[in-house]
Amino acid sequence: MNRAIPIGMLLSALAIGVAACGDDDDTASSGDTSGAPAGGTLTVYSSLPLQGAARPQTTDLVNGIKLALKQAGNKAGPFTIKYESKDDSSAQAGQWTAEQVSANARSAAQDDSVVAVIGEFNSGASAISIPILSEAKVPQISPANTAVGLTSDAPGADKGEPTKYYPSGYRNYVRIVPKDTIQGAALATIMKKDGCEKVAMANDKEVYGAGLARNIEIAAKAQSLNLAFNQGIDPKAANYRSVASRAKSQGADCFVYAGITSNNGVQIYKDFEAALPNAKLYGPDGVAEAAFFDPKEGGVPAKVAQKVKLTVATLSPDSYGEVGNKFFADYEKEYGEKNPNPYSIYGYEAMSLALDAIERSGTGTREDIVKALFATKDRESPLGTYSIDENGDTTLTDYGVYEIKDGEQVFLETVKADV
Amino acid sequence: MAAAGLPASTSGAVSSVRRFLAQNGLIGVLLIMPLAFAFHDLRTEGDLSRLGNNLVDGLSNGSIWALVAIGYTLVYGIVELINFAHGEVFMLGSFVSVSFFSTIGLTVATGIPGLVAGLLLTLLVTMFALGTLNTMIERVAYRPLRNAPKLAPLITAVGFSFILLNVGLLWRGGSQRSIPNLIDSQALLVSIAGVNITRGDLLAIAVTIPLVLGMTIFISRSRLGKAMRATAQDPDAARLMGINVDTTISATFMIGGLLAGAAGLIYALYQTTIWFFQGFTAGLIAFTAAVMGGIGNIRGAVLGGLIIGFIQQLSDNRIGSQWTPAVVFAYLVLIMVFKPSGLLGEQTREAG
Amino acid sequence: MRAASTAGPSFRDRFELSHRVRVGITAAALIAGGLLPLFVDGGGGFIDDATVALAYVMMALGLNIIVGFAGLLDLGYVAFFAIGAYTMGYFGSLFHITANGGEGVHILVAGPAAQLPGLHFNFFIIIVLAIAATTIAGMLIGLPTLRLRGDYIAIVTLAFGEIVGRIAINGDEIKFLDTRLTAGRQGITPVDKIDLPFLETFNSLELRPWYWTAFVLVLIAVFVNFRLRDSRLGRAWIALREDEVAAVSMGVPQVKTKLLAYGTGAAFGGVSGAFLGSYLNTVNADQFQFSFSIFVLAMVILGGLGSIWGVVVGAIALSFINNRLIPDVLNDVPGKIGLDFDLTELSFGIFGFLLVIMMVLRPEGLIPERRRKIELKAGIEGLVVDEDTEKQP
Repeated sequence: MNRAIPIGMLLSALAIGVAACGDDDDTASSGDTSGAPAGGTLTVYSSLPLQGAARPQTTDLVNGIKLALKQAGNKAGPFTIKYESKDDSSAQAGQWTAEQVSANARSAAQDDSVVAVIGEFNSGASAISIPILSEAKVPQISPANTAVGLTSDAPGADKGEPTKYYPSGYRNYVRIVPKDTIQGAALATIMKKDGCEKVAMANDKEVYGAGLARNIEIAAKAQSLNLAFNQGIDPKAANYRSVASRAKSQGADCFVYAGITSNNGVQIYKDFEAALPNAKLYGPDGVAEAAFFDPKEGGVPAKVAQKVKLTVATLSPDSYGEVGNKFFADYEKEYGEKNPNPYSIYGYEAMSLALDAIERSGTGTREDIVKALFATKDRESPLGTYSIDENGDTTLTDYGVYEIKDGEQVFLETVKADV
Repeated sequence: MAAAGLPASTSGAVSSVRRFLAQNGLIGVLLIMPLAFAFHDLRTEGDLSRLGNNLVDGLSNGSIWALVAIGYTLVYGIVELINFAHGEVFMLGSFVSVSFFSTIGLTVATGIPGLVAGLLLTLLVTMFALGTLNTMIERVAYRPLRNAPKLAPLITAVGFSFILLNVGLLWRGGSQRSIPNLIDSQALLVSIAGVNITRGDLLAIAVTIPLVLGMTIFISRSRLGKAMRATAQDPDAARLMGINVDTTISATFMIGGLLAGAAGLIYALYQTTIWFFQGFTAGLIAFTAAVMGGIGNIRGAVLGGLIIGFIQQLSDNRIGSQWTPAVVFAYLVLIMVFKPSGLLGEQTREAG
Repeated sequence: MRAASTAGPSFRDRFELSHRVRVGITAAALIAGGLLPLFVDGGGGFIDDATVALAYVMMALGLNIIVGFAGLLDLGYVAFFAIGAYTMGYFGSLFHITANGGEGVHILVAGPAAQLPGLHFNFFIIIVLAIAATTIAGMLIGLPTLRLRGDYIAIVTLAFGEIVGRIAINGDEIKFLDTRLTAGRQGITPVDKIDLPFLETFNSLELRPWYWTAFVLVLIAVFVNFRLRDSRLGRAWIALREDEVAAVSMGVPQVKTKLLAYGTGAAFGGVSGAFLGSYLNTVNADQFQFSFSIFVLAMVILGGLGSIWGVVVGAIALSFINNRLIPDVLNDVPGKIGLDFDLTELSFGIFGFLLVIMMVLRPEGLIPERRRKIELKAGIEGLVVDEDTEKQP
């Protein structure tokens, strides 16, 4: 079965011991786990960038994952679940690296006890791990990827997507965050409704930010909302005064930032507020966290925060139902944070969904768990009630609009994204 | 241009033509963006207020880079070390100053006399703390390598910058943090012909100019300053003349740290956001500024810092923030082509 | 370089090995390196890290030509990694998906790639293209530095590295005809697997063929490095490094020699970049940052500037620290001894601390260049004795 070996030997001109090594790696080649015995121990990996600029988000994500596992008593049906948090970043780079992403994916593929991987955090990283995990049929749940092309060929995807990520044709990847299209439309809808005449937009050039910005552009055109510009920013710049003054000279009366807090989100809102004191400010779920809107946590001052409206896929606390309320109560008890950032919710739900799918699979094998994931119907969660469609996308389309009062986000209304 | 690399081939007439071209080329390079944009503004908007605003923002941002760049250039001049840890020292300057002024109770509500006194105290404490830190780093990471191959300390500098980054990360977490806007940095002070000058602009320039002047006088007049220049020129000869080279180098690092501390405080007050990674960018820019002005030259570092500040704001405002670093570096390459030893470059041992 | 530190020579003398012992150790290490995959799991993390380490060795060897041999401090080596990787991405992926009316262009490829749209060239052709592209880029970047000295060269190369990195990130905004210049941070994924004649196309779960390919590439790189160092060109590089004015007045052609140093050094980065593009299955703008240039430079300096075996050892050491010791070994320690402590919070610092410690303990590098060692031993500046240069005509 291991044809590459003798030729590799030839290559290195070291033709010794060929016979000795023909059959020592039956773990490597296939995903057919021979069915873990009922009641055995199964492992769930997460692969997230734990170092560098994304660390604040991923720490909360891991907190959410751990909380979900703890609530379930480390059990999914008859199985005991072990959780391992893998780092897909390196100290030298300070961010995710292709080396670590593929190393994590391979080690998940090789380890027969691994029945689910939560990750990646970055869409560019998932593009690398999906092909490897798909080949080994490992179920993968992303708590944060929004790039359209990972699951579907809807507008915003490149040609060749998503089939190129699944070379064997096996779909193993689902995500619990709505793809960019939906939030882009939600933001455009709410800005139109608030009477924005001219919108200045900045994006952080990440896959998430740039993709969201592109979808806001598409939606704005469809809803005849006027955009002044869509400006990519350098997240490491000291300030954005001159970017903001350009918006001022073009007469913008609204500002929206498509990006995440840790890409200098705080600074860009402060600079735009200073340049456009009368403008309304908007933001996506990437900035819906205390580190952005609570001055005590290093967020923007109240003067800026009161002008900001945020769209988040989570709904009003009243509409959460039992599952959601329990999450918020437990999270506060465990980590002392009343307004957890959305990534902790996504982390929590990713793990909860994994546990649920393992339980529903009955057998605890990778393929049955994938089937169970795609069969998810009307699942109640802190994100609202959702199903997973045939592409692996969540069916959530409702967005909650929040405003900020005294360093906390307050639910305002629900917006139906007009896709 | 390839031929210009051959020192042998310069004869009288050719070289004077080439020198003329080189000088005017440099001026052309420096003015190409401002002039193009000035022309554009006059045609489309009828006045130069937009360019003026870019200039003001550029000068205030640039003067912060200048302060960091002086530390870079001093250290470079004396030990010929590209001190990659300097940016992180500057970052800790922001962190120390913010912690200190929060501890002594400065808030947005503090009255002006209290604010001025408190900030002066903060400035002194921060400068002292960072000067000491920088001296200690020299002691631990660079002095043991004084006689090692020239590039070895470069790697310990990189190592130390990682360590200091980690200190920053543990101290204030990974996110950018907004801090109390003590001086209301972006509040308008005065508007002249459409050009807005804010309080932050005034602060940055008002602190930088005296520090730079003081520094220049100190280096040229004081005993220690003379010792520093002597050591920079030839450490062995300086030693023979009775100069304590180790002490002089320590003092240089101390001064570099003092200035980085001052820059850290001004940065914090001006930007009102601090981040453990801010030093990485600042260090890179300060290094660029120091080289642009001519390594080892204090006035050159200041000039380089101001030019970079201006280019950044022009690019942010008109080309696009995501291209700004590329624009700055393209400018640097062009300047280097026309003036290989930097704008005000002088002869150092290395670039002699 | 001026004078050896006082503790230095005696310490070094103790570790001075005879020529025969050194040859023996080198041969043993090579055989062990070649046979290594037979004893480890073909899909495991170890072989994975080892393959990446070999790719880094290749880059460090290239940078060693520029910095170690020719003495030109290059802080923008990542540019060549990027150009090599993008060559792989352009000519071995779905990136140009509309090429040839959506049919694709296939040159000497078999396996799954032969059916896909886009450009798909044989790996050997891509390597040749990558060498050509990076050599030209190296020389172009070298041009503005010709009149510069010392650390001014460092900043100009750094500038080019940053400019290339920016173009990689923002290239998705620049369109020629129908294709974007780069795929930005989303990255070009997937990239064709290496497809050698008479072999199955490589796959991502059996890593041994990848390892052996990298191993052979490194062997070739080491061989070329030794031949270059001992050639007329290599001696010209070293002469320029030691004393530029003297070298030029002795008739060393300065422009040609320096440009060739940039060009050759860059070519290794291109080969490694193309290999990594295929192995990592992505060409992503996030890979090409300034810190990577510093990482490779640290390998060269830590290993021993100008010393070929030193650089090999330095690159292996640093990449294992970064890709294995810190993430896989150290981070599991607190969990294993029952502590709820997250060591990833300290990875930056640990990496920096190890750099400082290693450099302070071995200032001349792990295996110093022989010429430098002789200089240090003699303790007299300017006295250069080297058996390699004595053969000079």
